[in-house]
Amino acid sequence: MASTPPPRPGLPGTLDHAAPLRRRTLLGGTALAAGLLASGCSLQITSKPDPTIGDDTLLIAGDKGTPTFTANFNPFNANARKAAAIVYEPLIWINPLDGTLVPWLAESWEQPDPQKIVLTLRSGATWHDGTPLTTGDVDYTFRMLKEHPANDTGGVWSRVDTVETTDSTIEITLLAPDSPALPVIGAMLIVPEHIWADVEDPSTWRNEEPVGSGPFQLGNFTSLQYTLDRYAGYWQADQIDVEHLVYPAASEEMDLVTKGYDWAYAYMSDVENTWMAANPHNRYWFPPGGIIGLHLNHDVAPFDDLDVRRGLSLALDGKQVGEVAAEGYMDEASQSGLLLPNQEDLLNPEIPDRGIIARDADAAIAAFEKAGFQHDGTTLRTADGEPFTFAITTANGYTDWLRAAQEVQRQLRGVGIEATIETPQPAAYEANLTSGDFAVAMGSSNGSDAFQGYSNLLWGEYYAPVGEASQNNRIRYRNDEVDQLIGDYRASVDEDEQARILQQLEKIFYDDLPVIALYYGGLWGLYNDGRFTGWPSAEDPYAPLQTYQSSPLRVLTRVRRVRNGGAS
Amino acid sequence: MRYMLQRAGWFLLTLWAAITLNFLLPRMMPGSPADAALAKLAQNGPVTEQTRKAVEAQLGVPDGNLLQQYLDYLHQVVTLDFGVSYAFYPEPVTGLVLQALPYTLILVGLVTIAAFVIGTLLGVLAAWKRGTWMDALPAVGGSFLGTFPYFWTALLLLFFLGYVGHLFPTFGAYSATTVPGFSWAFIEDALYHAALPATTMLVTSLGGWIIGMRNAMITTLGEDHVTFAEANGIPGRTVALKYAARNAILPNLTGFGMALGGVVGGSVLVEQVFGYPGIGFLLFNAVTGQDYPLMQAIFLMITVSVLVANLLVDIMYGILDPRTRR
Repeated sequence: MASTPPPRPGLPGTLDHAAPLRRRTLLGGTALAAGLLASGCSLQITSKPDPTIGDDTLLIAGDKGTPTFTANFNPFNANARKAAAIVYEPLIWINPLDGTLVPWLAESWEQPDPQKIVLTLRSGATWHDGTPLTTGDVDYTFRMLKEHPANDTGGVWSRVDTVETTDSTIEITLLAPDSPALPVIGAMLIVPEHIWADVEDPSTWRNEEPVGSGPFQLGNFTSLQYTLDRYAGYWQADQIDVEHLVYPAASEEMDLVTKGYDWAYAYMSDVENTWMAANPHNRYWFPPGGIIGLHLNHDVAPFDDLDVRRGLSLALDGKQVGEVAAEGYMDEASQSGLLLPNQEDLLNPEIPDRGIIARDADAAIAAFEKAGFQHDGTTLRTADGEPFTFAITTANGYTDWLRAAQEVQRQLRGVGIEATIETPQPAAYEANLTSGDFAVAMGSSNGSDAFQGYSNLLWGEYYAPVGEASQNNRIRYRNDEVDQLIGDYRASVDEDEQARILQQLEKIFYDDLPVIALYYGGLWGLYNDGRFTGWPSAEDPYAPLQTYQSSPLRVLTRVRRVRNGGAS
Repeated sequence: MRYMLQRAGWFLLTLWAAITLNFLLPRMMPGSPADAALAKLAQNGPVTEQTRKAVEAQLGVPDGNLLQQYLDYLHQVVTLDFGVSYAFYPEPVTGLVLQALPYTLILVGLVTIAAFVIGTLLGVLAAWKRGTWMDALPAVGGSFLGTFPYFWTALLLLFFLGYVGHLFPTFGAYSATTVPGFSWAFIEDALYHAALPATTMLVTSLGGWIIGMRNAMITTLGEDHVTFAEANGIPGRTVALKYAARNAILPNLTGFGMALGGVVGGSVLVEQVFGYPGIGFLLFNAVTGQDYPLMQAIFLMITVSVLVANLLVDIMYGILDPRTRR
């Protein structure tokens, strides 16, 4: 095995997952105010940066107060400050755009067989207090996660059997042949044994003064703002040009536009006239991060019938749905289940039109008729003569999903289906989908790790009947062929073989339509290139502009100050 | 005495009913605290089984049957220890409430008192000078402003004075760099931050007090004892304040008692709009996060203070108006 790995699907490790898809539009005052602006007021809002922020300080909207901050830098805690994810570092950095693995605290790794992973730790990394980072810390992190399952948000111990370390290597034996475990383990954040070992309960500990290994250490903390300062002893300190990061609690959309932020992550309505118009150096980049589609419950008739699924797929124009839901910023999603163009090299060439299924109302009706439905010219009726109708479930407050559902509803009328829309609160939506209490739902799936996308959604291992909880296979999909392919993939460390298996999974996703792919959910990156350059872009997609999880680690090694006084 | 005992009895019965409802209502919301936490995480893409397990382990999602939970809850109510919040895990509920309470009490409390005093005085004036501009302006102006939804007023003020004019802060109860404490710098900063939310609430609530007082006052002014006082040549101001206003204020006083009781609930929408760290914002977070412990604590605080305020108003009525004692 080569020690420098080629691109490989990655899996997000910590609590938040890698593919941010849905913008939040809960009741937020400033969001409403932004709406007011968009709805006809011709007033132009301009950015008015705080003059006390220096050239070496990057203002980042990376953490939103509720409305204030509590000091919690325990990176395993669901309510931790978002910057905790860059105070600590993973063994392997995974690009949420395409799953590429980048050596981080581990300088290399190999998989001698599908049940074993051997990582070599980088030498020279130190904790913020100067103590060297050793394989002992890695070993401690594994043990701590085992003792405190509440901290094991990536599910490391659902795959690992034993961990053995030498001075420079970490040898992991897995519970079963499971080569895709590498990104899960790689994404795990490493914490220092000499500090954490004395903590009584690492799962409830707030860790108010974090000592990590990342490029920045915590500076000032107040309930409305905190700062991170460059750590001079960082193992790649020569790559870090930013001296300070400032995370204010006030980071609603209106704040982003008016307060001179250098970097933000937010879906902004009418981005050209809001974010872009506020400052001549404001830029945006919205690459795809996941697939938004109709999730069908395969344990609920008639959605277990492929002809019905095909009919639905042919009745819908994903391009138009995306146009309505995401204001045209996102493309129609490929029914292959891949993020295109990010994962172009994984695409099965046998799939026609790169997996884009065009709307064809006549073919849709023909498919429904094959399934026993009748179309009387205006209405599609089931075999017993009743008009065919079903409810589309989407969560209350996710306005883009609601718009998508309404557009789906409108397009379905074109083939004689009268669908209704149900909008339970987000928590109830979550509960309904997990327990299978739905027929058709708006949902997001797939992502940078193509294999993980298919296995989470389709694997029989995750199947649970309606009424029992399944967090992964919520669509209740069962397919022996898929299970076989997933097993083969897990038992393989041969990249060519894995690529072939992926192509087969894509074909099944395309043919069997477990979900109806509609459009891509975006990664809503906003940045300003007036004071800092080197940001990722479509031409150089080295990382997405996510301000959370591990993404800023990579971005901040590439971002450089503009030194010729060109700031505006 | 019998009147007081009767009031106290009703008070205890209502209190128990309210406490029990506080327990039941949040649990009737569909979905669990873990579902709410996962829904928040799912904003960033699909959540896996392992994450759900970890989150459930973190939150220690309520176990035991409903009766056991109810008994635990009653114990919490008596000891005033509401445990750990779900939405802000691992922060204790008591700490969160105590942190938010001062901001709400000062902002909403002072505004409520100011609105009551100013509104009632303007109402007296309007009724006394009825038919003149001093009547028309507050009465028409008050009812006009009173029809503005207060969150809408809040958005307008925030947008034009905050974001467009850059005249007032747009977020929080104090500046990011100010350290909360009893220093003049902090108080000044806090007042500056409270200006817009306070104006919003004052402007939109004034009308109700003016109209209420004005109408009650006009009715009272028609009563025989007022005419008699005027006929006796008692100075106008004395008649207005001592003979008419004192009687006319009773309904407004009831309203004031209720409003004071509601102060601890904060103002969900105004606090949301201005990012004000009070109880209203906390309540919003608790409800969206299915945070039973936090919701219970806040609802309990609100119901108890409304009930206590009611009891006090009842007692005050007994003193002010001998007829109610029978």
